[in-house]
Amino acid sequence: MFRSNNIVARVFQRQIYTPAPGTSVHCARRFYENLVPSCTIYDVECPDHLFRKFTDDGQYLISFSRNHQDLIVYRPTWLSFSCKEEDCDAHDLPPKSKRFESFFTQLYCVSLASCNEQICKDFFLYMESNQYGIFATSTAPVPEAPATGGAIQGVPFIEKMTFHLLRLGDGVILDEKVFNNDFVNLTHNVGVFLYDDLLAIVSLRNQAIHILQIRDSGNLVDVRAIGAFCHEDDELFLNSNAQCMALPDKSKLPQLPENHAQNGLHHSQPCLEDSFLSGIKQRLLSFIFRGIWNEEKDQSLRVQGLKKKFYFHFQDYVDLIIWKVQFLDRHHLLIKFGSVEGVVSRNADHHPAFFAVYNMETTEIVAFYQNSAEDLYLLFEQFSDHFHGASRNSLYMNFISSPSNNIHALEQLRCIKNKANGSSQFVKKMLSSLPFSCQTQSPSPYFDLSLYRFDEKLISATDRHRQSTDHPIKFILRRQPYSLKFKIKSGPEGGSTDGRTKKIALFLFHPFLPLALSIQQTLFLQPSVVNIHFRR
Amino acid sequence: MMMMSGGGRGGRSSSASTATKTSSWAVSASGKRIQREMAELNMDPPPDCSAGPKGDNLYHWVATIVGPQGTPYEGGIYFLDITFPSDYPFNPPKVVFKTRMYHCNVDTAGNLSLDILKDSWSPALTVTKVLLAIRSFFTNPDPSDNPLIPGIARLYLADRAKHDELAAEWTRRFAK
Repeated sequence: MFRSNNIVARVFQRQIYTPAPGTSVHCARRFYENLVPSCTIYDVECPDHLFRKFTDDGQYLISFSRNHQDLIVYRPTWLSFSCKEEDCDAHDLPPKSKRFESFFTQLYCVSLASCNEQICKDFFLYMESNQYGIFATSTAPVPEAPATGGAIQGVPFIEKMTFHLLRLGDGVILDEKVFNNDFVNLTHNVGVFLYDDLLAIVSLRNQAIHILQIRDSGNLVDVRAIGAFCHEDDELFLNSNAQCMALPDKSKLPQLPENHAQNGLHHSQPCLEDSFLSGIKQRLLSFIFRGIWNEEKDQSLRVQGLKKKFYFHFQDYVDLIIWKVQFLDRHHLLIKFGSVEGVVSRNADHHPAFFAVYNMETTEIVAFYQNSAEDLYLLFEQFSDHFHGASRNSLYMNFISSPSNNIHALEQLRCIKNKANGSSQFVKKMLSSLPFSCQTQSPSPYFDLSLYRFDEKLISATDRHRQSTDHPIKFILRRQPYSLKFKIKSGPEGGSTDGRTKKIALFLFHPFLPLALSIQQTLFLQPSVVNIHFRR
Repeated sequence: MMMMSGGGRGGRSSSASTATKTSSWAVSASGKRIQREMAELNMDPPPDCSAGPKGDNLYHWVATIVGPQGTPYEGGIYFLDITFPSDYPFNPPKVVFKTRMYHCNVDTAGNLSLDILKDSWSPALTVTKVLLAIRSFFTNPDPSDNPLIPGIARLYLADRAKHDELAAEWTRRFAK
């Protein structure tokens, strides 16, 4: 059969040829082999902002001002210019078009930070269904803060953190949620996860998972806090019960609810003692206990098993803290537990960590794994898309390459696995990416591993700053003719004059257009070099 | 099933210091006694009960009582802290609930009023017997003799059904 990778041939082929069932999107995406951002405008003149990312629907480009005070939002537009002569493709772009403004239109600039707060530039979440953006501002963190009021020792302290809910269409601030004397890790969205309209915020310092709901009306509503208690009304229940229990002797029976409030005033608050296990710890410990208890039927062996596997480690389990959380679906959370030292230190690999699947409706722990658990790794390998479920509302978000949807990604993983000889270190390393950070992967088709091959050390779908080299990054076709399709080069065209300075690059790809920004920064406070990569 | 890989536990518990205050003879005598009781417990554990030392500290134990069937505590897992004094068995161990419980003999800090852990303590008693006594509390609360929570005791005597309903609700919320 005649096959050609020529775009015209492909269009004809599309007309006469029905793709195999379920592959129509895959076939359509092959057009991205023809339409590539191969043209680069180097060192484009642009506002000196911190460019954060394209929203996943491609509607907005988010950027922050250098002083971390303002949010500036652009609408990506396609370059258009007129040409008088005949063969305009042969001409260079007119100088007027080689500007940032020809690709992006500023929609608005709003001031987010107030007083002594600054925008957390590494944090941004987008709620696609309503085109709402979630931003955070905070006061400067205090690294060595004393732990007060039951806080975890060793976790940094932030006096005030504010989460802002913005309507991105016009930049109106709809709602705010303030956390005082707390710490949420906002680097790469680590501490916050958005699933549909549900937001999970991990308070590291106070060890609570705050579940908020974003209403269509633009309100942030507290749904529940998981930590000290599990049900949303546990604390209320406890307080109202405490009042009944403390009734003075003269009254007969606690039958008159209106009296309780008054009587209860004499009684000290029941929650001031923290001798009890927190709600989530009780669930966790009883889950582990039950597992060992049910393993063995013989009474004596059972108790001996518990002694070795449970009581000996009891205090370690009690000392675990919540590190990170993600939604698996609307009810289930994947929670990573670890030691305080592991949270504080950069090198968390050496510290034991555990994963728990928690159903927040039934308040049950469903599963519990150590971070070297082979069975969890196998789930991760085979069903990694299920861990990504949250950010995949729109169609093309389903095509972010993962080992479970992409044979090439799976091959890569298997290759690393074979090299590692299936050691527990390998499992730990792989599982260290769980729970996934929310919205940190670009859905751009150029990162689709079934279309392109590229050096993942230099560039990948994961939204990270990377060390920049003077060599262009090559995107090579995965299929025949396996040719080099385009290159992405950050920094000035001729390379940098100073080869010694360490340079950092950030690549922002539009989710579906052949359009990308590369931003190269030197570690010193020089303005960054922004290149626009697009299809001419 | 699961093992902690991190080392370095030991000396973490506060009770270790109480043990070192007394003479080495006392420590070893009480230590031997506790070890014997541990062996006894392992051989013949009371129903629904288990216990063991926390880490490698012999004087600080954790015990678990599974809420007995047919009681409103059924389905709950109750954790208790047991701290042995250095002159054990001449003084009773200190037992505190780590799990919230709706019970007229357990106060809002988890302390329980059990006569054998106070005035009626005898060196002839053992951990196994203490656990059995606590477990019998689950099935038969003692509302008559100066209960810690009079409100619950009164409800238990006057409206047993309501009491059990509330206790079951506490179990569901705090002891699962």
